[in-house]
Amino acid sequence: MSEKLKLALYWAASCGGCEIAVIEIGEKLLDLIEAADIVFWPAGTDFKYKDVEAMPDGYIDVCLFNGAIRTAENEHIAKLLRKKSKVMVAFGSCAHEGCIPGLANLTDRQGVFTRAYLETPSTDNPACALPQTLCTVPEGELELPAFYDTVKTLAQTVKVDYTVPGCPPVAEQVWKVLQTVISGDLPEPGAIIGADSKTVCDECERIKGEKKVKRFVRPHEVIADPERCFLEQGIICAGPVTRAGCGRPCIHALMPCRGCYGPPDGVDDQGAKLLGVVMSLIDSEADPQEVERLVNEIVDPVGTFYRFSLADSLLQTVKSHGE
Amino acid sequence: MAMLLSKQLDPAFKDEVMAEPGGEHLLRCYSCGTCMATCLVRRVNSEFNPRRTLRMVMLGMREQVFSNPTIWLCSACDACYPRCPQDIHISELMGAIKNIAMREGYEPPGPVAQVDELACAGCGMCVMACPYEALTLVTKEVEGQEDRVSQVNKYLCMNCGVCAAVCPLSAVHVEEYSNEDVLVRMQAGGWLTDKDRFPPDQPRVLVFNCNWCTRTESDWAALSQFPPNVRIVTIPCSGRVDPQFILLALTEGVDGVLLIGCDPGQCHYKQGNFVAQGKMHLFKHTLGQMGIDPARVRFAQTGFDQRGRLPALIEQMVEDVKEQVLVGAAAS
Repeated sequence: MSEKLKLALYWAASCGGCEIAVIEIGEKLLDLIEAADIVFWPAGTDFKYKDVEAMPDGYIDVCLFNGAIRTAENEHIAKLLRKKSKVMVAFGSCAHEGCIPGLANLTDRQGVFTRAYLETPSTDNPACALPQTLCTVPEGELELPAFYDTVKTLAQTVKVDYTVPGCPPVAEQVWKVLQTVISGDLPEPGAIIGADSKTVCDECERIKGEKKVKRFVRPHEVIADPERCFLEQGIICAGPVTRAGCGRPCIHALMPCRGCYGPPDGVDDQGAKLLGVVMSLIDSEADPQEVERLVNEIVDPVGTFYRFSLADSLLQTVKSHGE
Repeated sequence: MAMLLSKQLDPAFKDEVMAEPGGEHLLRCYSCGTCMATCLVRRVNSEFNPRRTLRMVMLGMREQVFSNPTIWLCSACDACYPRCPQDIHISELMGAIKNIAMREGYEPPGPVAQVDELACAGCGMCVMACPYEALTLVTKEVEGQEDRVSQVNKYLCMNCGVCAAVCPLSAVHVEEYSNEDVLVRMQAGGWLTDKDRFPPDQPRVLVFNCNWCTRTESDWAALSQFPPNVRIVTIPCSGRVDPQFILLALTEGVDGVLLIGCDPGQCHYKQGNFVAQGKMHLFKHTLGQMGIDPARVRFAQTGFDQRGRLPALIEQMVEDVKEQVLVGAAAS
């Protein structure tokens, strides 16, 4: 009898939603454990880093790595797990493209610290204490993982074999991915798994608009028509530039697509593409001032168009080159 | 000049055109030719001649009008409309003639947008973006499966490329200006990736120039005079630009990107310049928010009556970018 598959799961800079997404497969977890040994999973099992360090290289068959690379610890474990794993999977939007943590790339370490530890209304920090990498206390020296200026994706840090998109990947797709992993019938390295090839719009049942947009609104500002395309109603929906496969839970909850499954094949920069799409829908009767007004209605363009993909975007590359 | 026999003419033709919506004011035309002097289409096709077409309609030259392939070229930019002393809405008149021709089975000869139905997701963005309502969504069988796809009406499409710029899956193509075509022109000769070819006082500037902004021979001549650090890519309309093109150039270290479109109200494709203005304005906001100097990107417009402005706009951009690059080089 062949040996059981050895599976590792890890979380770096993430919210924990991807862990829940794995738990969400429910009783199929029992099928998973039947087919595979989980050799490392901080959120679910009691293994330590030293256990991983003790493994021979390539010991783990498949590692599902969620979370972005924000700190030195994230990077260290990513590199360690890469060495110990035959197949490395970027699991979920943070590992894939930076996701919400990646939006911190609008600023840097100093900016993040100032906001989080000094400025937020709920902060009570009269001594203005900020996290230090090294700190001496009577008991000795304490060390925190270094906090980087820029959030990176997993693929910007180590070689990634497969990517599972989604914030988080939906349970149905998680189980499909696990089945693929268990069967060993993996596609060519570099592939996106647990998703479809076209866009969210391809599957969306909403009635497609043929009208121009006269006004942009945010979802909380209007009661949207539940039958009609969001974009036609002036609500920015990332559906046209987002890979399909999620089953559209947001659309069914009467919210526009936010873009968490990332761009489809052929789109290099999800944000720039969406920006171009949205601006092509504006009303033809517009005069130049009207165009400016429409543009100014879009608050926070980076957060709107690059909500999930900023760390992996061309925009990020341009910024990094300038530094 | 061929002899015209009156028995071959159709005296009712002018009434037919005048009965068609848009054709009402045909007889106001006294063939002054002001429309021709203004017409942008004549820049690329001197055979196109609205004055002659209207006169031929009045003379009843039905067959000759319909079989002339240039009648389809009017893009309803309406550059001529404000100049016509008789207040004739010539694009609507041309539209009336095209409508009758269509019913009679004549077809426009020019290239139109093509949809790759297998790649199309049926998102309808091209439908919403098209200035001519030339695209619609239809449900049809594609490779044995019911699918919702975009469909081009070849009578309405003017091949401006606004649809190709918007399509997320590169499923809509316009001849000579597909994404690949534009990228090839940006990169030709290794211009995009060869970062070290030019010294700091010769910054790399990429210019996307709307075809219709180049209005005079002297403008065309001036464009060919720019040094190799300035790369000019001509596109059918400023609305054809996908912001991804610009980002791609910036990631390759291009110092500045200039998009030139027509003045407000003078777009050859009705509203492509508004689309471009919106994209560039929002794109600059995005760059600024990200901490990238928005001055590296510029949208400039030029019009009918601004002869020589086009090369001046490019020179200005190159000068401004050079200053920034030199300041940056001195600071580092």
